[in-house]
Amino acid sequence: MSHPDQESLVDLALGDADLNTRHGDHVRGCAACSSFVAEIRRARDLVAGSVEVAEWDQPPADVWNRIERAVDVDAAPAGPGATPPRYAARAARRSRAPWWVAAASVAGIVVGLAFGWAFWNDPARPSPTIARTALDTLDTRQPRGEAALVGTGEALDLRVDTTALDAGSGYLEVWLINRDGKRMVSVGVLRGAGTETFPVSQALIAQGYVVVDISREGYDDKPQHSGDSLARGALPA
Amino acid sequence: MNRYGGRVTAAQTVGAEPDDVAERLSAGSKDALAETYERWSALVYTIALRALRDHADAEDVTQQVFVSAWNSRHTLRPAPGVMPGWLVGIARHRIADVRTQRFRSSRNVRAVGATMHHDEAQPAEHEDLAGRLFVAHELEHLGEPRGTVLRLAFIEDRPSSEIASILDMPVGTVKSHIRRGLLQLRSRLREVDGVAP
Repeated sequence: MSHPDQESLVDLALGDADLNTRHGDHVRGCAACSSFVAEIRRARDLVAGSVEVAEWDQPPADVWNRIERAVDVDAAPAGPGATPPRYAARAARRSRAPWWVAAASVAGIVVGLAFGWAFWNDPARPSPTIARTALDTLDTRQPRGEAALVGTGEALDLRVDTTALDAGSGYLEVWLINRDGKRMVSVGVLRGAGTETFPVSQALIAQGYVVVDISREGYDDKPQHSGDSLARGALPA
Repeated sequence: MNRYGGRVTAAQTVGAEPDDVAERLSAGSKDALAETYERWSALVYTIALRALRDHADAEDVTQQVFVSAWNSRHTLRPAPGVMPGWLVGIARHRIADVRTQRFRSSRNVRAVGATMHHDEAQPAEHEDLAGRLFVAHELEHLGEPRGTVLRLAFIEDRPSSEIASILDMPVGTVKSHIRRGLLQLRSRLREVDGVAP
């Protein structure tokens, strides 16, 4: 069956009863149409709840200066004697890295500094480590290992190095949780302590699946996360 | 990509000049970055400030957003009107980073379920705030009478016939503004959601 046109879908999203009678069944069964309708309703709801902004806040002038310094150093590495700000120096050092690494580094530095994670802490190291994070228990933040994203281009590896994880009567599974906190993917099964490597794609990381989680799973027929997380860490990517 | 991904004609222009700032930015023009900042830093900063309630954090986020925009300019698909959504999309991720940081340093929770709920509760609130502020911004730039029609329809909840008499235009025109306006907003919101972290 063919899709209703956009105008009809908008009217249907707004509650047109005739269109609902005519196209409702199709829309409910069609992923493209139903997400279109949901997006129109979201737009409507956001209009309904839109915040009255009498005046938009202007950032202080200094912010633009900081941006300018950062992108200037990025484009042309500072000459001798220049002392570029730390974030700019870091950006310059990786100017040959893929764009998303550069983009991620801006956030990564902030996050990395805040948590004291070892992030690009050894510029001389030729290793293609893109990001790393400690894996800690969720309750008391006990260290349980480390995860690192290594490789270049589209094919990346998630290297998980763990100690002292108790699988109980089940097994350990590695997940990447999206930073939106709503979606996750299973990356593989951890056989035990030590280093194990799982292939992941750049696209997955770029979509925000950056929180590495290790769960204890039972031998049951439930493929979803058990809810029993043993360790977790967010890649600064 | 579904069949609705087609582009909606954007109304946003600067004076009579065609708005090609996205094109110039993606081509690597520093002037375009300056113009981008000039035009949308208040949008980004306001969202960050209201989401994070901290001036220093909001300034940092604003800085990161425009540096990120520069560094990832190759990923921008230039089209009229895409810039604010793209920037807000980047801002949302940077705001989420700050919140994650705060969350991680302040609370530890046991199970995924609990974490997810907690994580979800706060970002949903701010995401919604970012979305609502972004839509408020877009309403200002949809052009008139479309912005007013949408406000009357959905903020004041007035039926099309009433809007028609208030604005002295045919009901069909009111309905068409509502449809086109929502289609435009949907397409702008897709720009926000389409930004990779």
